[in-house]
Amino acid sequence: MGSNSSSMNNIPNAEQLVQETGFSAAHILRLYERFQFLDKDDTGQLRPEDFGAVRELAMNPIGDRIISAFFSPGQETLDFASFVRVLAHFRPADSNRTRDGAQPEPANSSMGKLKFAFQLYDQDRDGKISRAELLQVLRAMLGMQVTEEQLQSIAERAIQEADFDQDDAISFDEFRKSLEKVNIDHKMSIRFLS
Amino acid sequence: MAVLLRPPRRSCSRITALLVRSACVLFLVVVCAASAARRDAVEGNNDTSHHPLTNSTAHKKKPFPVLSFNYDHVRKPFEISLWILLALLMKLGFHIIPTVSTVVPESCLLIFVGLLVGGIIKAIGEEAPILDSKLFFLYLLPPIILDAGYFLPIRAFTENMGTILVFAVVGTLWNAFFIGGMMYGVCQIEGAKLADVDLLSCLLFGSIISAVDPVAVLAVFEEIHINELLHILVFGESLLNDAVTVVLYHLFKEFSHAGTVTVVDAVLGVVCFLVVSLGGVLVGAIYGLLGAFTSRFTSHTRVIEPLFVFLYSYMAYLSAEVFHLSGIMSLIACGVMMRPYVEANISHKSYTTIKYFLKMWSSVSETLIFIFLGVSTVAGPHAWNWTFVVSTVVLCLVSRVLGVIGLTFIINKFRIVKLTKKDQFIVAYGGLRGAIAFSLGFLLTNSEMKQLFLTAIITVIFFTVFVQGMTIRPLVELLAVKRKKENKGSINEEIHTQFLDHLLTGIECICGHYGHHHWKDKLNRFNKAYVKKWLIAGERSTEPQLISFYNKMEMKQAMMLVESGSAAKLPTIVSSVSMQNIQPRGPARRRAIPSISKSREEEIRKILRNNLQKTRQRLRSYSRHDLMLDPFEDLSEVRFRKQRVEMERRMSHYLTVPANRQETPQVRKVCFEPEHQVYTYDDS
Repeated sequence: MGSNSSSMNNIPNAEQLVQETGFSAAHILRLYERFQFLDKDDTGQLRPEDFGAVRELAMNPIGDRIISAFFSPGQETLDFASFVRVLAHFRPADSNRTRDGAQPEPANSSMGKLKFAFQLYDQDRDGKISRAELLQVLRAMLGMQVTEEQLQSIAERAIQEADFDQDDAISFDEFRKSLEKVNIDHKMSIRFLS
Repeated sequence: MAVLLRPPRRSCSRITALLVRSACVLFLVVVCAASAARRDAVEGNNDTSHHPLTNSTAHKKKPFPVLSFNYDHVRKPFEISLWILLALLMKLGFHIIPTVSTVVPESCLLIFVGLLVGGIIKAIGEEAPILDSKLFFLYLLPPIILDAGYFLPIRAFTENMGTILVFAVVGTLWNAFFIGGMMYGVCQIEGAKLADVDLLSCLLFGSIISAVDPVAVLAVFEEIHINELLHILVFGESLLNDAVTVVLYHLFKEFSHAGTVTVVDAVLGVVCFLVVSLGGVLVGAIYGLLGAFTSRFTSHTRVIEPLFVFLYSYMAYLSAEVFHLSGIMSLIACGVMMRPYVEANISHKSYTTIKYFLKMWSSVSETLIFIFLGVSTVAGPHAWNWTFVVSTVVLCLVSRVLGVIGLTFIINKFRIVKLTKKDQFIVAYGGLRGAIAFSLGFLLTNSEMKQLFLTAIITVIFFTVFVQGMTIRPLVELLAVKRKKENKGSINEEIHTQFLDHLLTGIECICGHYGHHHWKDKLNRFNKAYVKKWLIAGERSTEPQLISFYNKMEMKQAMMLVESGSAAKLPTIVSSVSMQNIQPRGPARRRAIPSISKSREEEIRKILRNNLQKTRQRLRSYSRHDLMLDPFEDLSEVRFRKQRVEMERRMSHYLTVPANRQETPQVRKVCFEPEHQVYTYDDS
């Protein structure tokens, strides 16, 4: 794709990324090619506008949330390492990982995946999904077809169901509990990245 | 009979004994009546032959017959009804004895009863009804398959579609050829007296015995409540292998007449398989769409709505059978296709009717199938050959185990959630054979082989149903296989799963990878944009899935409210104002729900009913075909909410009694008279 030579030597910190994220070298290469494809002006950094080139993302109701999830708060640009780190969340979990207490939770475990999804809801990063944040998500997903009243009642019911400590917001634990019947590993993995 | 009486010395054994005795008496009556009727018919012929002679001589006036006996007139429906009644009484009897029904699966008991009945019939000297293949394939099998297909859990099915297809197609092919080939080898052994069974017959036999049977699997797996993944794997396999079985069976049947096989024939076989399976699905899908389209216009004739569902599905099955396509796959495709649109269109009552009729028919069918299997075993001519039968049973087991292990090894490379050894064991152990194998064997024409094959098939069926069926439950518990979790619909789960779907689709876009989320998203969009407009009536066509789900939950709760008359179990009724006053719950989260006394409950129910009736339309003159308009039918959101608010207001008004003490952990405007209080603990 283009005149860029696709060899591991061109990728900055390739070895470190392999270690950190668990992707194989082939995958890192593939992702690097994709990164270069998105990076139209060849700066080595991605900006939110670059993601706009992906057509279907515009049709996605939470497309803008996903894009902003790649960028750390306050940052305007995204380098390859951060790109890969975010995508590492969607790698299928390693079944033979040894439970080492000292090691930090890997990004692609169930916890890591759930944390990532939680952050997409919780835009202000206060550790809870407030009613307003939930309403925003519902509005984005349901669009123009529902009345405000319906949205309110759905949000109401959702919070009632999940909220155990009665603080009118959904914390991460409550979020996790409401999804306990869903196989997160299966639901939030992309086979392509395995 | 004595066997059933012995175990528990409780009154239920007496009831069962009574039921069994009465059933047997009924049965004996009909048998005697049948033989009497035959005698009558014979005498009747003699009478008529005498008449011309005596006509001229005596005009004796016979007294007017007050009571006469004419059994022939109603014979066929009478016997059919009696059989079904007998089957259902047996089923009733089993569930009254608690100990037996927990150890032995129902299918075993029914076969046993069939054996008994068959024995009795044979002892009397009558001819026993055999499980006729036409009866089985046209009348007994479709309800079971439709029931399974209509209520198929789509999400689990499509997620595991690849695995299921591999097991169904490759697994069944492996089974058929392995068993067929090895049996040929066995037949070549001298001293087994089986030298005249040639290779093609063996392969034909292999193809009949190789398929896992949906009826048997359903009957056994229903009772052990295994987790959804395993259930859908085994069950999906049993449904989809029908295409393979149909093709192989017809293929080998044709070849065994012709005698030789060429490469062209093999290629044609593969093409035939594709045609049979895809054609079946296509036929089913067409009928499903027709059914969905029809249901769009049924808002004025609600009474006949369920019939459309049943008839279109049955037509799909029959149409597929006309062309020798896979009827089972056609039926499944029809049910799956029809369901989302039909459910959006039909009334709540019709939905309940469909559900209950399907369950009822499939239950009756299943019972009859197993009983007839028992009866046919006793009745049919048998050709027992130790070598053949024993090696069949052993080979079935071996090939199943090898097949599952081998295929899982390959499949696990492509699966995200791998299948563990326990899963593999259950899948292998759950490969039960049933009545389909028997009926296919029955359709064979060559009488000598037929008896030999039928005996072996019946033995394998008995072995799998009795031995495997009975031991699977303790094994499941022993291996601590994950059981099915009770699934209470949760709006949170629905919201979050949809959110995750969108998220994954977005990530796939970013990666530039067209994974299955991408295609699912495209399908949903297509569905929303084009298909729903055509197939769903009125404004529901634009309703997003989340809203339908939410409405369903609300409706379920509202129904519960009306039926139980108790305010205590419904959290959403609490208005947002009182939410702020909620005191923290106790440590163990046990809520004491004051339960209303019977008379008070009745009073409340009466009040509610009267109030709800006021919202109905003014009744037209009575007509048998009119259904009372449900207050919950076809209401737009606003009206529904208003009604609910009204109900809530009235409930709290009528239930509030000025009482001196009021102690509820949750603040609700509900107080009860002290002397009527009965607390129940709700462990929700």
